[in-house]
Amino acid sequence: MEFLKTGKEQSIMEKLEILTDAAKYDVACTSSGVERKGNGEQIGNCVKSGICHSFSGDGRCISLLKILLTNECVYDCKYCQNRCSNDIPRATFTPEEICTLTMEFYRRNYIEGLFLSSGIIRTPSFTMELISRTIWLLRNKYHFNGYIHVKAIPGADPELIRRTGFLADRMSVNLELPTAEGLRELAPNKHRKTILTPMRQIQNGITQNQNELALYRHAPKFVAGGQSTQMIIGATPENDFQIINVAEGLYQKFGLKRVFYSAFVNVTGDKALPALAGGPPLLREHRLYQADWLLRFYGFRAAELLDEKRPFFNVLLDPKEDWAVKHLEQFPIEINRAPLEQLLRVPGIGVKSARRIVLARRSATLGFADLKKLGVVLKRALYFITCSGKLMYPVKLEEDYIVRNLTDVQERVRLGTDGMSYRQMSLFDDGRFTGRITVQEKLQTAVGQL
Amino acid sequence: MSERSSSGRERNGQEESVTMALRKKKKQEGTVKEMTVYRCEDSLESIFTAIYLYYEENRKAEETYIALDEEPLLFAEEVAVAADPVKYRKVMQTLQRRFGEADYLSVCMALAAADELKAQAVFKTVVKGLDERCARGHLLDQLADDNVMRTFSLARGTGREIDHLKGFLRFQELESGILYAKIGPRNNILTFLMPHFADRLPVENFVIYDDKRNFFGIHPQRGQWYLLLGEETGEPELRLSEAEKQYQELFRHFCRTITIKERGNEALQCHMLPLRFREYMTEFTDSDEIQQFF
Repeated sequence: MEFLKTGKEQSIMEKLEILTDAAKYDVACTSSGVERKGNGEQIGNCVKSGICHSFSGDGRCISLLKILLTNECVYDCKYCQNRCSNDIPRATFTPEEICTLTMEFYRRNYIEGLFLSSGIIRTPSFTMELISRTIWLLRNKYHFNGYIHVKAIPGADPELIRRTGFLADRMSVNLELPTAEGLRELAPNKHRKTILTPMRQIQNGITQNQNELALYRHAPKFVAGGQSTQMIIGATPENDFQIINVAEGLYQKFGLKRVFYSAFVNVTGDKALPALAGGPPLLREHRLYQADWLLRFYGFRAAELLDEKRPFFNVLLDPKEDWAVKHLEQFPIEINRAPLEQLLRVPGIGVKSARRIVLARRSATLGFADLKKLGVVLKRALYFITCSGKLMYPVKLEEDYIVRNLTDVQERVRLGTDGMSYRQMSLFDDGRFTGRITVQEKLQTAVGQL
Repeated sequence: MSERSSSGRERNGQEESVTMALRKKKKQEGTVKEMTVYRCEDSLESIFTAIYLYYEENRKAEETYIALDEEPLLFAEEVAVAADPVKYRKVMQTLQRRFGEADYLSVCMALAAADELKAQAVFKTVVKGLDERCARGHLLDQLADDNVMRTFSLARGTGREIDHLKGFLRFQELESGILYAKIGPRNNILTFLMPHFADRLPVENFVIYDDKRNFFGIHPQRGQWYLLLGEETGEPELRLSEAEKQYQELFRHFCRTITIKERGNEALQCHMLPLRFREYMTEFTDSDEIQQFF
């Protein structure tokens, strides 16, 4: 295979370091969605729920061997560490090296499979072919039966993407930035259209494959784990409303399994990029994920969570609490009666606890103590629910009151959202008491004169 | 057991009826509630045998207690239970048939948990399920019941540890090519881990050693796995293969590199990967380099 060799031979350790470092900003590290038993001959199986094998120092899971095939790249995307104008050490794995690493790591139960992405060498099609050949080798020569996630390179030959799809469990095409304008500004070589084309192709491939599987049970599977994508948050001025709408569109129109959000980390220092003084916008990313879950599992629509007038998520309240305090007319909800869809809309009740409630209330009338055991977070839920017609405490169903109680003081201080500082109230908490407290004053306090 | 029932048979009918009447009278008065305590070993087989005995001897659920510890109960009839293959297999089959595969597995997981009260909770749950003729897959629905709740949460706890160790277990390659892993789980979960790894690595010879309970799970290449219990040998001396050290170092390096420094969040890491697992994990142990941020 003709490879672009760097000047001197690098060791595997050096290559692994360079290519892991280059791949780490890719978010997707899930190994879920495919259930495949071992076949008794090859190494590997897949578990539907996915398995996390370790967690790195930033708290993200390490499930797959996440590497680039190469960090050589002809593109010059301003946010990307591997852009061609960036002066960094470059390295390229040979397909054999990737296969050996994957197999040896997998045997030792370090990883659940391989995540293979790549910079663009020469052309998208050339790169896609290298990726395709690598995982063909892994499947057929090294007999690997575990999880493989590969990137589809936008602009590559559709036939290559199709062929790769039959070897991989999950494919993803990165949307990179939520809007076409943002993409034009920061990634001059990429176009919205070329990104959406392979996405559509994979979607159609999956649908077609499902029809084939219905007819022939043993037909080869095409991207069995579905496809995902990711967006960078905070590099361009889009608001949360736009982002969440794009995500909803992707789920509905492109049948995506997951949309990942990646808080922007400024690694290149390009002048077109925002300087983020407070580090990456992690809270914003967190709120987007929360909203994403509401879209996928709780039956919410993007338009319910945000609108044009209020395009950003509340910093203090999570999106569900935020929705609930704005729709107090629908509360309180009776736990022993309400349908599952309504239970899911109560803050503090998740998908699992809602299901458990529905099952458990068939045989008993549930009280607040039972709810606690079932996994409901009463701290958040108590304002919105009744058990047998009773509230847990005599609380007011008022927006201000609930918001004040949901956001406790410590939380507000930690987030530093309102320029005030808080401390424990003391007896002498009064503006006039700034100096030292005299003995006389203490005495006065003791006898109740102050 | 047999001694008691045979002595019962020896008694003549009149005497028997008198004692029964006395017992009945006492019970109606509410003065005496005679408890039966089945003392079991901490094993699934033993507890299932006790459940069988409960039905065989036709006792009442509220007057029966299955205990694992040695602490005696006052005014209770003590019955020591030894696992009986015929009896516990029958219980296994019944539970599987009546409650379905998934709920049966939950019951087994609850019994694998490290908990003093598990036997009683499972016993009550199973009896309730059988008496109320609960449908397959619905044994653990009635979570408002304390015993069901306890069984459910024990099963959940064990299940979580199994899921954790499916990921956190680390094999090391020995000179002979055998893969060897050491685990120290809270609950007795090796039995649940073996099928997963046997399915995953069918062509490997591997051994998993439970450090806390001192037993081995052994899987021969392309063969059926089995457990090796009650060996006094302890942990064998390990000689790692040459490649092993290199791959360990590669993986440590990989884990360090993949961390995004700007996002550093050790609290989250500790939350997702509790410290008690780390002493057995390659990337957190004994590298020549200093353990830094990772």
